[in-house]
Amino acid sequence: MAVLKEPIEEALQLRNYIDGEWVESEGETKEVVNPATGKVIAEVPISTKDEIEEAVEAAKEAYPDWRRTPPLARARCLFRLKELLEENFEELSRIQTMEHGKTIDESRGETRRGIEMVEVATGIPSLMMGCNLEDIASGIDEYLIRQPLGVFGIIGPFNFPFMVPLWFAPFAVATGNCIVLKPSSEDPLSQIKIVELAEEAGIPPGVWNLVNGGRTVVSGMLDHPDIKGICFVGSTPVGRDVIYRRCGETGKRVIVMCGAKNFALVMPDADLESTIAACMTSFYGNTGQRCLANANLVVVGEGLSEQELEAFYKKVVDAFVASASKIRMGYGLDDTVHMGPLRDEGKKENVLQYVEKGIEEGATLTLDGRQFELVEDLPEACFVGPTVFEDVTLDMAIAKEEIFGPVACMMKATSLDEAIGMIHQIPFGNAASIFTGSGKWAREFQYRVECGNIGINVGIAAPMAFFPFSGMKDSFFGTLHGQGPEAIRFFTESKVVIQRWF
Amino acid sequence: MEGVHVTTAAIISFIERLEEQSSAFYDELTERWEESREALATFSEDGRRNRTLVVRTYQETISDALEATYSFEGLDLKGHAVDTALAGDASYADALAMAVALEEKACRFYSDVAERSQSLLATIPRAFQRVAKKRERRRLKLQSLLDAAEAGA
Repeated sequence: MAVLKEPIEEALQLRNYIDGEWVESEGETKEVVNPATGKVIAEVPISTKDEIEEAVEAAKEAYPDWRRTPPLARARCLFRLKELLEENFEELSRIQTMEHGKTIDESRGETRRGIEMVEVATGIPSLMMGCNLEDIASGIDEYLIRQPLGVFGIIGPFNFPFMVPLWFAPFAVATGNCIVLKPSSEDPLSQIKIVELAEEAGIPPGVWNLVNGGRTVVSGMLDHPDIKGICFVGSTPVGRDVIYRRCGETGKRVIVMCGAKNFALVMPDADLESTIAACMTSFYGNTGQRCLANANLVVVGEGLSEQELEAFYKKVVDAFVASASKIRMGYGLDDTVHMGPLRDEGKKENVLQYVEKGIEEGATLTLDGRQFELVEDLPEACFVGPTVFEDVTLDMAIAKEEIFGPVACMMKATSLDEAIGMIHQIPFGNAASIFTGSGKWAREFQYRVECGNIGINVGIAAPMAFFPFSGMKDSFFGTLHGQGPEAIRFFTESKVVIQRWF
Repeated sequence: MEGVHVTTAAIISFIERLEEQSSAFYDELTERWEESREALATFSEDGRRNRTLVVRTYQETISDALEATYSFEGLDLKGHAVDTALAGDASYADALAMAVALEEKACRFYSDVAERSQSLLATIPRAFQRVAKKRERRRLKLQSLLDAAEAGA
């Protein structure tokens, strides 16, 4: 066993980054606690309305020069940032484990995914090109150019504190916009580190601003007339009822990525060993705090008799529970650990309430995550073990609401058609997976399922940086998605020029 | 439970220690026995290269979605631990015999983890295989040096 060295030794006093300067906030502060050890690792300011206004003003002032900076020069800044992120790969990863609780493997995976966003955005000279057509009428040509819009606001979630803001920030900056970014106040440290590196990479003052805080900062962004668009990742109630609605009222562009309740279907011909391995990552990776995590597993008896389905269900559930029971829990910087704590005590309390609710609703608690062992002596305040419910029906809260913890619900369906119908009864549409050896079933699944991200023998259908991160129904509000070419379109306006020379 | 479901991170930490130990061992060997210097000149540096190759491949391949909770089922890391402490009164032949054993063990370890990581994205098992092959070539070279040293003695 090796516990890796912590990169943060004493509690840090965090500041805002506005117009190229690190500035103290006038606001109250809040403690950032390492959920595995209970140690305070930082004090984060809850910034004021004036401070968000200063940041927007700085971004607005920086915008004219930045948009005139040639795309190739902007790309060079991002190349330098990418190199600095690589150089600091390990420190960035360990910071995420300390601020969030995830395991070091998970943090390194998150760091890689974040860097990939910057990598893709460095291709901006090609990605941002428009198009043209000669002779749309005799002697008249038409062409389309993509222009930046100004200032964008980015509001990050707690579950992927490093990666998620990078779904947007590099694309916004590469296209010539300026940003004001609010990281989650629960785990803002890796974003602070990115900004330090962005500064070192030579991104000019005012282009990439960071304001710590909570609702005041979010409201300040939503109401500010100089912010042209908002990118938000968080819960459905806030995303739909606050962010999306307010952006509609104020005429802002918006990407709102929200909650989920994802299904994994296991067909009779699935490779069981690989399926269970993929399910462990999918259901319990990041301690279930992932919008692409599967939460409901449906064993499908397509072509099987009732008895055969029962036997197949038992085989799948037994293998799932056996594997889940072996998950080692502890501090994510211990490199032998498979699963860390939840982000904080409140989140644990929420998960425990769902466990109680599941029991009250009549589901069978096959694996009780309230009972667990840690690999070392740590406070148990934020830990919950892998949990499995059986006899779950779709009318139960545990089957249809997002728990955001390590809780798996086992169900059965007699056919693929019935299983797809189950997915459609849930209001969310973020992701769904099917495990099968049949191309016919897989195609039927990807064709019919109303979810934005489909996994075929993949437990977490996480799109790469050069594809959009999709989502449907109550999981996504907006038109264009984050990442790749759709992000380029989101952060630019299409201008059409029609020209004729006499 | 350690040694049953080993994480990728634990494998990487093990490799970092293994290569560091190997480099230190060859530094000492070449310092104590002048006759080994030419033949084993690159062995210490190779350890650092192996480490860079594996860590870089891991960092460039791992993603939160596909590999983060991957387990090396049934792997006994303790069984792969190597002994690199050269006794003060060891002869050159003793040192070479130890080096042969070290390379044999290291090759077995890299082949083992390559085999067990076949379902990871191909780059990771491929990096392990590359180092296993390098270790095997080194073992053969060391064996011929050992044979020569024993014949000379």
